[in-house]
Amino acid sequence: MASPTSSPVAVNSPTPYQAPAEKPSAPPVNILASPIARTYSYVHPIVLLTLGVFRFEAVVSNPVEELLSDLPWLALLQIEEKKKAAPRSPSGPTVTLRPGKPGLRRKQSAGKHDWAGVWAKLMPAFMSLALTTLLATPVLAALLVLFGAPLTTHNAETLLCGAHMALLSATGLVYTHGVDSAVWKEVWGISRPADAVWGAALGTGLGAWFGAIPIPLDWDRPWQAFPITILAGAYIGSAVGSLISRTPFLYGKRIQFAPEEADEDEKKTN
Amino acid sequence: MTVLRSNWAVVLANILVPLGILVFSSGFFPYKPLLPGLATFDEVGQDATPAIFDKVVFMVVDALRSDFVYSDESGFSFTQSLIRSGAAVPFTAHASSPTVTMPRLKAMTTGSVPSFLDVILNIAESDTTSTLAYQDTWLAQLRARGDRLVMYGDDTWLKLFPGMFDRADGTTSFFVSDFFEVDNNVTRHIPDELAQSDWSALIMHYLGLDHIGHKAGPRSPFMLFKQREMDDVVNTIYTAIQQQEHLQSTLFVLCGDHGMNEAGNHGGSSAGETSPALLFMSPKFEILGNRAESPIKTPEDLRFYQTVEQADITATLAGLLGLPIPMNSLGVFIPVFLDMWETGTQKLQLLSRNAQQLLNIVKSTFPDATFDPQTSSCCELDTLSGIEGAQCAWSRAHRLSSLEKLTEDVFSDAGPALLRFSRIAQEVMSNTASNYDLSRLCFGLLALAVAVILLLPTIYQEISQAVSAGVFLTFMVIGYGCMMFASSYVEEEQQFWYWICSGWIVYLHVRSKSSRPRSHGKTGLFSFCITMLATLGLIISQRILRRWNQTGQKFTAEPDIARAFFAEHPVVLWGLIIVTYMDSGFHLFLNLPSAALSWLVSLVLPTLAFIFKLNFVANDSPELLANSFLAKVVETWPDDLSLVFQARLVFGGLACCSLLAVLCKKHTQHTQTSNTYLHEVVHLFLMTQSRATNVPLFLIFRLQATLFSSLDLTGIEVTVTTLIQQYMTFFAFGGSNAISSVDLSSAYNGIGSYSVALVGVLTFVSNWAGPIWWISMSHLLRPRVTSKDNHDSAALLTFHVATSLVSVMAACTALRTHLFIWTVFSPKYLYSMAWATANHVIVNLLGGIGFASLWSRK
Repeated sequence: MASPTSSPVAVNSPTPYQAPAEKPSAPPVNILASPIARTYSYVHPIVLLTLGVFRFEAVVSNPVEELLSDLPWLALLQIEEKKKAAPRSPSGPTVTLRPGKPGLRRKQSAGKHDWAGVWAKLMPAFMSLALTTLLATPVLAALLVLFGAPLTTHNAETLLCGAHMALLSATGLVYTHGVDSAVWKEVWGISRPADAVWGAALGTGLGAWFGAIPIPLDWDRPWQAFPITILAGAYIGSAVGSLISRTPFLYGKRIQFAPEEADEDEKKTN
Repeated sequence: MTVLRSNWAVVLANILVPLGILVFSSGFFPYKPLLPGLATFDEVGQDATPAIFDKVVFMVVDALRSDFVYSDESGFSFTQSLIRSGAAVPFTAHASSPTVTMPRLKAMTTGSVPSFLDVILNIAESDTTSTLAYQDTWLAQLRARGDRLVMYGDDTWLKLFPGMFDRADGTTSFFVSDFFEVDNNVTRHIPDELAQSDWSALIMHYLGLDHIGHKAGPRSPFMLFKQREMDDVVNTIYTAIQQQEHLQSTLFVLCGDHGMNEAGNHGGSSAGETSPALLFMSPKFEILGNRAESPIKTPEDLRFYQTVEQADITATLAGLLGLPIPMNSLGVFIPVFLDMWETGTQKLQLLSRNAQQLLNIVKSTFPDATFDPQTSSCCELDTLSGIEGAQCAWSRAHRLSSLEKLTEDVFSDAGPALLRFSRIAQEVMSNTASNYDLSRLCFGLLALAVAVILLLPTIYQEISQAVSAGVFLTFMVIGYGCMMFASSYVEEEQQFWYWICSGWIVYLHVRSKSSRPRSHGKTGLFSFCITMLATLGLIISQRILRRWNQTGQKFTAEPDIARAFFAEHPVVLWGLIIVTYMDSGFHLFLNLPSAALSWLVSLVLPTLAFIFKLNFVANDSPELLANSFLAKVVETWPDDLSLVFQARLVFGGLACCSLLAVLCKKHTQHTQTSNTYLHEVVHLFLMTQSRATNVPLFLIFRLQATLFSSLDLTGIEVTVTTLIQQYMTFFAFGGSNAISSVDLSSAYNGIGSYSVALVGVLTFVSNWAGPIWWISMSHLLRPRVTSKDNHDSAALLTFHVATSLVSVMAACTALRTHLFIWTVFSPKYLYSMAWATANHVIVNLLGGIGFASLWSRK
């Protein structure tokens, strides 16, 4: 079996983010200003990690069952956190539609005026969960396989691992950015400016990639089996990523690799 | 070009690398001091313990793993009937690593534990420094007594014992594809020799079973036939011993020199490799009443019956044949056979002679240890270990055996005490690390460290020019260096490269996104799609590569494409192989410098190469052809075209092509075309030198190279990409850091007789086919030289090689007493040597210089 690794690497010092002339995508998001939101946004990653440590034994002894039964709780926690702390999906009426890419948005915003504020609040949560399940999970599971997860065996584990990672990364992104194609293009190119949401997503992937490291060791521990270290890495990565990327030192910066033709080591921004 | 532009620091570093390797090796693989001369009996010696046998038939079956003889799936039915009757005494003889033939033969004849150096000499077989002509062996003892010896089988014996045998017929062990001829050449001598009475030792060494293992593994259908064939030989010899007058007092030993793992290879220290069978057979043993059950179920660790050390064979043979035990033997007489002598005095005599001989070795190795029975008379044996334990055991044994005159009842006390001492002495001596020359280790390490420091300014410059790629490279180099200190990461090195490769592809993906920010409209969308497809293609292809051959230790038995999938779907394999050869022909056609010849060459050469590959497979591993249409095609061909001739035809054609390329160079202006053309010639050569199941990999390489070139890589990115690809493809081809994974199946293509240099080159090419392909490709991927781009790939590659060597050497020095030093770290060091000298200095740098000097002349 190959060592399964996941998602992206970004070994680079991010460069200062300058406001560019042709900047089309959403700026980095801030945590909501209220004290509850602030506090909760710090508590949430720690809660996730604590729960992870608490359920670790159970995951080791029966990965599929435990990961499956954890899914609803994780989903609930993620949505709650986003509702409390993160700014809402820009598919709401407050956000101006950008010309050129109206397709998906128009459908969603069409209903907005007809429904009450409750629905407006529930909509992003519902949508982020639906997209996480239907799109992000299969995509992440496929990426896991491409990065070395077994293809012929352990399929349930791979899918569940993908689902957990999707909840950790994609739920927040969908909730805050909706289906803004410019944002998702940036996500695909790993060039979003750093904020708590993107930090968590990137951290999930990086953590999962580093999570593969202990697998080849000959310690013969049960937790060295396939999805466990990857998921542990993803949880730690998501918590760390979400916490450090909102610090002033990193906030708003992007991972970008300079094209070498620009023969100085200063990097271009979009 | 790049090499020529390199500065003096790079040149100096590349001189220091082989120099450091040389110094380090001389300290790491030391020459073991041996006691000179032949052992002799002291005054009372021989009369006390008369010889039980006066002749020995010593039958070695290469790679005869214990379960091949003892299990219920074995073909050795006659031998098993002997075990049941008590005429055969069965053992599992523990063979210590390295489990390759020559060191094992040394262990069985001298009784000593051979050094790791013997592994290298085992491959460079014709080397005469490894001869045992001047060492004390049971063969030399027989010879000294004036007896005659005859030998049939593996010619390693003839190299080890020049001039020892009166009659001999050697067979070469390196033509691994021959299953039957090699053994018939031994068996046909048996009736004649059994009729003769002039010899006192008849040695036979059968190679066929090992060949089957290497080719098809222990579960091959050939295996059972071979076991039955060997059983028939045992039957012939044993019946002759029973019936013929002059053979009445003949001891018949059947043993394997080492075992094999589940892949059929050997060299390492897994249970399968270290557990060969060992049987002592004679009608006389029936009086021991040692009737054992047979066949029995295979135990997990393959240890059937009693386990003894391989070195014990020497001591036991010496005792049974009435010879002095060879001086450097670490063997302990197998106590089961003590009952062949009648009196306790005789038994005690035998054991104390064995213990005394071992004591001499221990004393010469530990000159400081005193074995004075007075000083350490009271000690707790169970709490002591190592040399103190040996001292304690000796004082106890000495006390018990010399109390009074040797009488019957003394044996019951002193016998076990002497055996106990002998066992402890054997263990102490086998575990004693060889005497490393620490100062040389440090000097070697220092040379490499200086090389790294010399390169640092250049590397700093490189990294500051391209920060992101530089940081990735630094991360990789540091990670790789740390990994060398953990035995499981060394065993599973492929995982690191697969891991790094997936990371690097993500880097390239992100980089290509950010390097094309300003493209608009159609071109923007188009290039977006291109890069997206490129990275997707790269990540999918690298995922296929990593599953092609499972390698390493932990997951090596899991199903993979080359061994599991293709075995079930030979049609897919052959379809892919044909496409690969057609693709090679097509590219030759595209790039041929002379249009007139292009049709001829591009059609004929790949066809010849394909026919050779097909015949090679039909000869070697016919199971890959089973039931496919090609099997019928092969059957209709005449047999008179030898494989050697076909391989020479292909090599000759390739040589002509490259010559043509050089000559036509004068007429063409496009150096790039000529380079591509030369690359195509190398491509076909590497395909010829690869296993058939690996040939389709070249198609994947082609695809990957196209994808990489579509990404517009810069100089440093090309260097890092091809560096990662080199290491990754080495493992994708089935390579690993274990000696047993060296692939010898293509080492004899086109060679009629053994030649160290040619076989060495072909072995290297067939094992490093992937790396060589990517080195050759790196010249084509590199962007055209511009004045701005002053990237120095030689410096970066040398830096990687030097740092990895520093960490491997440091690991070998720091962990020189580690349990795995000979099984994990030393093989890794040998592989690093090959990477640094053959792959880096010769193929990469000298090849690059040759390439550059050829094409830069305008």
